Amino acid sequence: MEIKKITRLSMFLCLSVVLNIIESFIPLFDGSIPGIKLGLANVIVLIVLYLYSFKDAMYISILRVLLVGILRTGIFSVSFFFSFGGAVLSVLIMWLVKKTRLSIIGVSIIGAISHSIGQILIAIILIKNFYIVYYIPWLLLFSVPTGILTGIISKYSLNYLENRLQ
Amino acid sequence: MNNSDLKLIGFIMLVVTIMFGLLLVFKNSSSKNALVYYEDNLVLTIDLNLSGEHEYKVMGYNGEVIIKTKDSKIKVEEENSPLNICSKQGWIKNSYDVIVCLPNKIVIKIEDKEEIDTVVR
Repeated sequence: MEIKKITRLSMFLCLSVVLNIIESFIPLFDGSIPGIKLGLANVIVLIVLYLYSFKDAMYISILRVLLVGILRTGIFSVSFFFSFGGAVLSVLIMWLVKKTRLSIIGVSIIGAISHSIGQILIAIILIKNFYIVYYIPWLLLFSVPTGILTGIISKYSLNYLENRLQ
Repeated sequence: MNNSDLKLIGFIMLVVTIMFGLLLVFKNSSSKNALVYYEDNLVLTIDLNLSGEHEYKVMGYNGEVIIKTKDSKIKVEEENSPLNICSKQGWIKNSYDVIVCLPNKIVIKIEDKEEIDTVVR
């Protein structure tokens, strides 16, 4: 990796951690409803996915989960594994969906949904309680507005960045 | 936002609606408790999943209130009040249904048995 790219990617990683922290200050999305999040960090993952590659987006996503785990929630805690499962699945599925006709907003919605699904899969494995699937319709419902919002933010950030980078 | 995004949102909303519908159907067959209150104090909890007929007696303001359950339904069988509104109401069975006996200061509510295993933040 060339130095320029490393620097940019680390700036993006830093931003995603900061956005994660900022998000927790916003009422309604501060964890008061379990599983409902604004997903601002997804903006960064989307930008990296569109500007660079799948591999870089996966790096940023996993490193973000690790860093947030170390800094805030505690590494290898239950919620750490939830975030990990959600992050990996959402990057994977966003990368696959990016190749279709969906715009960045659609990709963002799919990312929000797959993040929730990934968390629920991990929860089923860890807690061994199948009743969590009842939570899926709520998560799907909230994924749409939050996905649209992060999609719009990513779209305008990308427009801005593409003119300025390189 | 292009056309396929809108299609995606429509599809998700359809799935959500179907899922909520299924949940509603499924929840109605789940286990329920009937809670009997006298002057806002919980005096009796009845498991509505027991088969057969059962009778319970609770002291109301105007004397004894006889409550009857049968196949996860519940009603007030006998009570002493001027208009007998709550015994005329008959059987209730759905969650959040209520029978109110104002003269006897008795309220019967049906609630889902919900057990919280973990709260994850």
